[in-house]
Amino acid sequence: MRHTMTGTLDATSRTEGRWKPRDVWCALAGVVSLTLAVGAASTVTVPVNSDLGLVAVLPYPFWAGVLLLNVAFVVALRGDTAGPARRPVMIWLIVVLVLVLFGTAAFVTDVPRGEVAFRHLGVADALSRTQGIDPDIDGYFNWPGFFALLATLLRATGLDPVAVALWAPVLNMGLWLAALGVLTGYLTRDPRRRWLVLWVFCLGSWQDQDYLSPQAFGFFLYLVVVALLVGPLAARAPEIRGYRRADLVAWWRGRSPAEPRSGHRVSALVVTLLLVTVICASHQLTPFMVLIAITALTLSGRVWPSRLPLIAVVVLTLWLAYPASAYLIGNPPLAEAGLQAATEANVIDRLDGTAGHVLVVQVRIVLTLVLWALAAAGAVRDWRRGRLDIRVVLLAATPLLLFPAQLYGGEMLIRVSLFALPFIAVQACSVLLPTEGSTRPSSRAAGGLALTCFLLAVLTVTGRFGNAQYDVFTDDEIAAVAAVQRLAPPGSTIISAAHPTPWRSEAYLEHRARTIDDMCRSDLSTAACGPLVYDYARHSPGGAVVLLTRSSEASLVVQGASSAGGFAELEKWLSVQDGVELAFSNVDARVYRVTP
Amino acid sequence: MSGGGVSRLTVALGLAAVALSVVTLVGLPTPLQAVAAIAVLILLPGQALARLMQVTDLALGALLVLALGLATLTAVSTAMFYLAVWSWQACVVTMGVITILACMARARQEAAS
Repeated sequence: MRHTMTGTLDATSRTEGRWKPRDVWCALAGVVSLTLAVGAASTVTVPVNSDLGLVAVLPYPFWAGVLLLNVAFVVALRGDTAGPARRPVMIWLIVVLVLVLFGTAAFVTDVPRGEVAFRHLGVADALSRTQGIDPDIDGYFNWPGFFALLATLLRATGLDPVAVALWAPVLNMGLWLAALGVLTGYLTRDPRRRWLVLWVFCLGSWQDQDYLSPQAFGFFLYLVVVALLVGPLAARAPEIRGYRRADLVAWWRGRSPAEPRSGHRVSALVVTLLLVTVICASHQLTPFMVLIAITALTLSGRVWPSRLPLIAVVVLTLWLAYPASAYLIGNPPLAEAGLQAATEANVIDRLDGTAGHVLVVQVRIVLTLVLWALAAAGAVRDWRRGRLDIRVVLLAATPLLLFPAQLYGGEMLIRVSLFALPFIAVQACSVLLPTEGSTRPSSRAAGGLALTCFLLAVLTVTGRFGNAQYDVFTDDEIAAVAAVQRLAPPGSTIISAAHPTPWRSEAYLEHRARTIDDMCRSDLSTAACGPLVYDYARHSPGGAVVLLTRSSEASLVVQGASSAGGFAELEKWLSVQDGVELAFSNVDARVYRVTP
Repeated sequence: MSGGGVSRLTVALGLAAVALSVVTLVGLPTPLQAVAAIAVLILLPGQALARLMQVTDLALGALLVLALGLATLTAVSTAMFYLAVWSWQACVVTMGVITILACMARARQEAAS
């Protein structure tokens, strides 16, 4: 028997019977929405010349498609007294939402967004070429699990790596939703709530962590682990009679396994250990999130194998002590700890830049706060009705414990909000649906829900694609990177203006890669930065190639690190120095060769 | 069930693993090669291992096929890289062997039940 968040409620379901006209109309509305959104996105030309990102250039049919899709979903969710629309209709609408929200950029351009996916392809390529792991290369080679998987899949399937990177957000979101769908099934039997959780999860996914990356893979496995913890490995805990030692011991000993078949529990435990090990081998941060989730659920008496946290600690420690030791020696994990430093790196430093960019960052913050506020209201509502599920609250709140532990390049808050999001979505549904679970929402409530979902979708598209001015690359920029690969001999250094550069997808180990932004972080003025970059390039063994692209320069301007005029002055100064020659140029990029 | 108490699905999974491993190693045109490789590297081992758990929940079973397939392939590939014996062909053979071993274990379960 499953634990349910609304255990006293009768679940509604619709698995039999004929298709109703409303189901057909909702499915057709999904087709129209997809057509509108894809058609509109494919008319957008790159580069995107707005610091608001894609939201400023997507034509109105895209938004009409998004509105229609949300209305169709709410109509399907409302269904009739027997429950929501048929399962294929609900699944189809969610597929359309994933394509519209997470495939938008792929309909705009054939080039994957962002730099990191290119770099990850390079790491996988380097692994398959060297056929071994040298942990001294960089951090990726201390957590190589995902890259080993990627290298094997790319070589065995013969798929185009760039196409895989382009569609990775859609694939990853599909995996996440599959895991979340199973997980939510153990938390509630109300089908309306289950479908709405998936919808809200998509609408809250502004974090943009679903690209081809170890964290996306790790997050999928994390959700599967949590599904096993609240499913086959769950325990039923009696009510706590007090907080004296004897009461707590009696409470702990009064637990019983939710799954009666011991063999099934053992096999679920074996699978969990395999997944935890693979997560430890694949990503730096995710194992800590897994450990926190396992520990919190176990201490709440809701997980049956009570030694699971200890086993997870041992696996994690062994990985850090051996395969990842080379990285940790130079990068102590708690060296950047502290709430103040974390707040500065994760919030304050991100509020720099042009007016449009600051607005995008504020939209992301507002979206996160809105969802957390809805979840808090839902938790209060459930608590008042005696239905609060402590597991959901723990899984939503405990990722925050990692916020002050590490700056994580200023991305810790993004990661924390992602790991909390599935359970924030579950809890938010308590306030988005009628008080009496599994009751059909009124027309007025449904209208409010459709409007809320549409507004969340607008905020998500704004936040998610808010960096499109510098993370959507043009064909000319890709051509310039290819020219750099030809011009830079092995052992030379490649210098780019800033990090949003689609480089290093090939010959990852053959060149040193630096950015002007990293070299001159405190002062990008020509007087201070120019000589620094020039000296570095001239003294690089094997020479250097300087790549200046539209997107990398835009990133410096949009994020407030430099001005357009300031960077043009720096380039002009650099281009007339001894040993510097223009070797390649097009509309969006210049490549300078610097001889030693 | 087949005559010896072993289900047809178990036999089919084992035979498919052998056939698709060979086909993937020999090579096919690109779209077919991708389908065959994904089947032999992820779906078949995931399905064979998930069946050992005797999951009754269809949704959990389907999820475990993906999770177990991906996790096992990650573990195998990573181990091969650390041992400096990696090649994608070796991964195909190893995942095929894992699928067959899981099918044999499942066959023993079925014969005993």
